[in-house]
Amino acid sequence: MSKTKRKVKKKDFNPEILVFCCNWCSYAGADLAGVSRFQYPPNMRIVRVMCSGRVDPSFVLKALKEGADGVLITGCHIGDCHYISGNEYTRDRFQKLHQFIIKQLGINGKRVRLEWVSASEGKRFAELITEFTNQIKELGPFKVL
Amino acid sequence: MEGSVLVIGGGIAGIQTSLDLTELGFKVYLVERSPSIGGRMSQLDKTFPTNDCSLCILAPKMVEVFRNPNIELMTYHEVKKVTGKTGNFQVTVLKKPRYIDETKCKGCGDCASKCPKIEVPNAFDMNLGKRKSVYIPFPQAVPPIYLIDPELCLKLTKGVCGVCEKVCQAEAIVYDQKPKEISINVGAIVVATGFDMPAEELSSRWGYKYKNVVSALEYERILCASGPFEGHVLRPSDESEPEKIAFIQCAGSRDLHENVPYCSSVCCMYTAKEAIITKEHSDNSNCFVFRHDIRAYGKNFYEFTQRAQDEYGVKYFQTKISKIEEDKETNDLIIHYEDLKSGKFNDFRANLVVLATPLVPSKGTIDLAEILDIELDHYDFFKENSYFNKSLSSSEGIFLCGFCQGPMDIPETVADASGVASQIAALLNSVKYTETKEKVLEIPEMEVKISDEPRIGVLVCHCGINIGKYVDVSEVVNYLKTLPYVIHSEANLYSCSSDSQARIKELIKEHNLNRFIVASCTPRTHEALFQETCQEAGLNKYLFEMVNIRDQCSWVHMGDNKAATEKAKDLIRMAVAKARLLKPLPEAKLDIIPTTLIIGGGVSGMTAALNIASQGFKAYIIEKENKLGGNLNNLNILYPIQEEASLFLNDIKDKVNNNKNIQIFFNSKIKNIKGYIGNYDVSIIDSENKTYDLKIGTIIVATGAQELKPDGIFLYDRKNRNIITQLDLEQKLKDKDKSWLDNINRITTILCVNARQKEGITYCSNVCCGVSIKNINILKELKPELEIIVLYRDFQMAKKDFEEYYRERRKDAVFLRYDLDNLPKINKTNDKIEKYNIKVFDTNLQDEIEFETDLIILSTPMIPADNLEELAKMLKVPLDKNGFFLEAHVKLRPLDFATDGIFLAGCAQWPKNIQDSISQANGAAGRASRFLSAKTITTSGLIAEVNPERCIGCGKCESVCPYNAIEIKEASMDFEDVSLVLKKSFINSALCKGCGTCAATCPNGAISVKHYDFDQIYAMIESYLLER
Repeated sequence: MSKTKRKVKKKDFNPEILVFCCNWCSYAGADLAGVSRFQYPPNMRIVRVMCSGRVDPSFVLKALKEGADGVLITGCHIGDCHYISGNEYTRDRFQKLHQFIIKQLGINGKRVRLEWVSASEGKRFAELITEFTNQIKELGPFKVL
Repeated sequence: MEGSVLVIGGGIAGIQTSLDLTELGFKVYLVERSPSIGGRMSQLDKTFPTNDCSLCILAPKMVEVFRNPNIELMTYHEVKKVTGKTGNFQVTVLKKPRYIDETKCKGCGDCASKCPKIEVPNAFDMNLGKRKSVYIPFPQAVPPIYLIDPELCLKLTKGVCGVCEKVCQAEAIVYDQKPKEISINVGAIVVATGFDMPAEELSSRWGYKYKNVVSALEYERILCASGPFEGHVLRPSDESEPEKIAFIQCAGSRDLHENVPYCSSVCCMYTAKEAIITKEHSDNSNCFVFRHDIRAYGKNFYEFTQRAQDEYGVKYFQTKISKIEEDKETNDLIIHYEDLKSGKFNDFRANLVVLATPLVPSKGTIDLAEILDIELDHYDFFKENSYFNKSLSSSEGIFLCGFCQGPMDIPETVADASGVASQIAALLNSVKYTETKEKVLEIPEMEVKISDEPRIGVLVCHCGINIGKYVDVSEVVNYLKTLPYVIHSEANLYSCSSDSQARIKELIKEHNLNRFIVASCTPRTHEALFQETCQEAGLNKYLFEMVNIRDQCSWVHMGDNKAATEKAKDLIRMAVAKARLLKPLPEAKLDIIPTTLIIGGGVSGMTAALNIASQGFKAYIIEKENKLGGNLNNLNILYPIQEEASLFLNDIKDKVNNNKNIQIFFNSKIKNIKGYIGNYDVSIIDSENKTYDLKIGTIIVATGAQELKPDGIFLYDRKNRNIITQLDLEQKLKDKDKSWLDNINRITTILCVNARQKEGITYCSNVCCGVSIKNINILKELKPELEIIVLYRDFQMAKKDFEEYYRERRKDAVFLRYDLDNLPKINKTNDKIEKYNIKVFDTNLQDEIEFETDLIILSTPMIPADNLEELAKMLKVPLDKNGFFLEAHVKLRPLDFATDGIFLAGCAQWPKNIQDSISQANGAAGRASRFLSAKTITTSGLIAEVNPERCIGCGKCESVCPYNAIEIKEASMDFEDVSLVLKKSFINSALCKGCGTCAATCPNGAISVKHYDFDQIYAMIESYLLER
């Protein structure tokens, strides 16, 4: 049940971006961006999970299938994981997923990204979202395969 | 006796001890004189040696304190008067006026954003950043309540302005608030007042008056992403990026000509950290460390300082600084120094200088000592009652915790804090749980079946104008009404206020709601509050969902109300989609067997056992030898107290032997362990193959460490009588017969033998320097004409008394400094009476020195006890790369293993002296007895679950679980006609933390995480992308 996207010109293009945040670091980083009033584009929506280790590859594939133009997974920096090593598995799994998305599905790898954001990196969170949103805008709407 | 405790100081020491105390059954009054808890740790950017983000690990604990019903948080309060004695103290606390009603302030910040007063330096940013006259110390402050600076506020000083009162929709501003005295009664008092870093008190030699010379704490703020320069490394004078940054060690300390003669003990490490972070922040920077000794004696510390040099190119110079001056034109700094390795005098130009200034007892310590009537030592740290227990002050019932007693790093402080809590639990054992409150739910939980139609209620918060100004709340509310299953939605001004909690309960009842959503701020601080409200209304707390439309909508899209409103609609719709699928989750209570097994009968094990036993629980000690005492049996005199080790040892052994709650198994080891926290079945086997089966609640690992015998190094072969280790010397000194000294005229001690190397044993083992200094003195007393030569690399005398101890004994020996590139060379010159020739290149004199010696003492590192792998495997806990046990978190959980129910103390964790072992052992006993005190543990509803139909028993989940919560077991599966025994994954709800790593790893989608299950997250994704 995929949605067919309206054809839009690049400059009017408002991408739909899904962001996974872990409860302890990157979600807290997003909170700090808010508290500090760091502005960023309004295109993304956050889904909170307890650990980036929870982000199943199927979540990413599902989002792409339903028409997300970009997916960003965020978690604690390596070594900072609240669950000791959850993010290390995220990293390893993401490498495989990323290769699969690029090679098997033929999707531009820039649409899906894994980034680490700490609880004190409010500025970085805002910059990351800005930069990622701009990149997705640059790539244009994602056509569901 | 009072079942409550006063904790003075809300830094990490006070936070940890408060949390532990509540878990042990006590009410806590946490008094902090500044407006927020968090202390120095909240100001740090990262923590060594893992470079963990400091606030990431601290903030959850701060919130935990804030949410804890048994901690009365008294920030911006000061202790004024204390009377009474242990068990019954009367305390007068002064509540300073915030000019803001704490019960009304929502922390929204409208007041500060409109406050017109010119900005002033912000103390949290070490005066590098700015704040208004109405302010919150930092964004994550706890409690999240603003305050007005009465010296700056126009209304309070001149009677004009009053803008904050006008904009505060919560009507929280109270200009005429007065100081108030509050009286409380407590059974015990904890002092945890921490340290200051007053760089302005440094002598002119260090150049602090120049703009581009900053203290290390100021530099932490510069490095921090939420600091004054947003994490860009800039120098204060012109906010340009410095290329050359000089870090000056021991600025103003370890020097009799300066104010502070002791070593602050953490500076070597944070300097390495700051240099590494600097390199990570800016590629163009070059970091230079002007060092004295490198004191890196903790776990992975020395390796960390090596990494700073090898991987990050930080350059270390061994120097003595004569003066730092400023180049007036460029504001660069000129450092005049002597290079101790070349003996030359040089000048060094740096763009920025960071001073590792001494850490001193915090301001007000002397006054507080007077109020509490407890003693200070000659450095004005609080004085410990006994070397063997640094937690006890000079007055009974008043405990010392953390840096206010003497320099220590964060993990030592945390261990100390847990140790204080456990000792108070023993002291006030008869009154525990007399003043704590446990929540009693009046309305029973209503049954919500999966088949019931969802009835969802949504509350959308204005948050004053914080959300309402940028998100069209009424449009959102109306939109929500169009969504399926949303029975009711409404807006309100402040969702967190107590009238809103009453409203939520009313709505649940009135509309018979079985799901509830609040769209407001962050669940990280407020979810627990709303969950509690739902529970009070009879709704299972997992049927609540929270949406953050403030931090994710209004505050970050301030210029685009339409987009912010659309985003809020999307986010709430996604939450509604998830809420439809939410299930009520049970929280099971599991009983805890009130016993603790302690593995190892050394000082740590005995101390832990005594503490557990004095709290009324049964303690079992299992010891592999036929006697208690461990390494202490081998020691002669203890430093720095110069007391015979046997005195203390016999005393503690007697206490253990005479305690009815302690049972000891000698010559025994563990045969088998089954079970989990609260319910272990342990079987023990002794040397006669007799087995004992024990029911155990918690386990403490205290297996100690041993001295490395350096076979083959420096001619050591256990046959040469006159080449011995430090422990061999201890034995010789213990022996009555000292005739072995008769023919000895010159003794050479070599430090760091087979330690702090590039390969092999890379670490510093913490205690050897002290032991060798102690023995120099003892040898000289036995035979004053002895000549003693010490070959050393860096002296690790970091504790508060040790520097002085070392200084006093320095005259008794000749100290020659060698380095790794030029190891001393030893030749045997006479076989019969054993004489040796030593050649060493002394880096201080820059010359090779050759001499004869009669006896060589090798200081070798401590290494882990034998056969730990086997034990680690049985307990399912990890060892670190050096073979010591690996704690759950090096900073904030130094005594815990990741697996709940198993704890760690003493040299099993890392080589340490007797004082620290005792502190840790008390701490581990406290951590372990929290569960015994509570009698039950409540499992979280938020855990993983296995669908056995889909599970193929591959075991991937078991291998990735950080908590050992998963086990692959055989299970009988019924198929149509047959039953088969197959391997399946089982999750232990007592151990699972709900991270979900197993779920994402499972190749067959057989594991899900409750409350974050596949369908719920798929529903959110679909709702976002398909339902717009």
